[in-house]
Amino acid sequence: MPSTKEIRRRIKSVKNTRQITKAMELVAASKMKRAQQSALAGGPYASLLAETLSQIALRNEDIEHPFFEKREVKTRGIILVTSDRGLCGPLNSNLFRELVQIKEAVKFVSVGRKGTQFLSRTNRDLIAEFEIKDDVPYLKVKQIVEFMVEKFLDREVDTVEVLYPRFVNTLVQDPTFLSLLPINDFSEVIEKLRGGKPEDHKPIEDNRSFKFEPDVNTVLKTLLPLFVNREVYQAILSAKASEHSSRMVAMKTAKDNASKLLDSLTLQYNKARQAAITQEILEIAAATAANA
Amino acid sequence: MPLQLEIVTPEARVYEDTVESVVVPTTTGDIGILPGHIPLVTEVDEGEIIVEKGGSSQSLAVSKGFAECVGDRVSVLAENAIQMEEINEEEVLAAQGRAEKALENMQSMDPEEVERLETTIRFARAQLIVKKRRR
Repeated sequence: MPSTKEIRRRIKSVKNTRQITKAMELVAASKMKRAQQSALAGGPYASLLAETLSQIALRNEDIEHPFFEKREVKTRGIILVTSDRGLCGPLNSNLFRELVQIKEAVKFVSVGRKGTQFLSRTNRDLIAEFEIKDDVPYLKVKQIVEFMVEKFLDREVDTVEVLYPRFVNTLVQDPTFLSLLPINDFSEVIEKLRGGKPEDHKPIEDNRSFKFEPDVNTVLKTLLPLFVNREVYQAILSAKASEHSSRMVAMKTAKDNASKLLDSLTLQYNKARQAAITQEILEIAAATAANA
Repeated sequence: MPLQLEIVTPEARVYEDTVESVVVPTTTGDIGILPGHIPLVTEVDEGEIIVEKGGSSQSLAVSKGFAECVGDRVSVLAENAIQMEEINEEEVLAAQGRAEKALENMQSMDPEEVERLETTIRFARAQLIVKKRRR
């Protein structure tokens, strides 16, 4: 049995840990609230944009735009969205597990320090890294996307995808591949954004062809980049919400564990103390009895 | 068959209702949409959206974006949108003034900042157009 002094020291250190994790939980909780709000607020815009484009793509199959160009996939382009800091549960490692399963050649753009570290540690082809703080600036995201789109147009990569922890709710975050370019099937994108089944969003019955104002090319020239930018932006917002949720849950578990450990240590300490006192009384009693 | 109108910005869903008709400001002039309109995709310019519903009309200020009309559904995707009643003219003027002043030395700013300011100015202009027409 450890001495009372040793137990006291452990109690002190566990108490410290509990205090720190509690503080981190509170910080994460308040950040989570804000991140979740902005992720949810942006949802309708992003999904409506995807729906609009899917309507167009469905009816005008002869659209010619480099974003629609399908070619043999030799190199995938993946934007990996991770957190900057750790202590957020299995959030990042879940993403990395998805990554290792990829067989094809991949070129990566990393958003978030943890992802950058992982990619360089495992010697993967990292072509650029970006850092995004908690308030996600749309224009910064635009730069990242434009960088990747340029690589796509230069044929350096044959797809543009985003791998991010999709926010489902506070307890569930889902590592998700969002495939953006070439644009082919929207039902997948819409489903991921809305979180519903694809059957719920049937295309509207109206088979007259689309009229474009001022004309198709002008509209598509601005609409398509906007679409890609916005979808990535939404993905990053979602990743931020996931990060803070995951961290809050991890810290709450850590705090609860510390409390539990503290209880059992206190019990152990009291027992040890009691044993020592009993021992002392016994010794005194024995000494008195011997002297009498 | 009435129209389902939806006006959405990146920050929020500003308007969602069943309406009788809607006028959308586009880069090629205002377009009025009534039920049964042919499918349409258009660029939206800064200006005023007029919604007709149950004999009364309502107006909103929007800045750049897109509008789509399919079947009985009209969706407007805009950078910014606000209901006319919520516009505070003084605040808008102040914001516009601030943005324009900041833009004076745009050479020394990074392009992100310039774009943000331009967005502010565009939206301010749209709100002022709407306010002016209602007087």
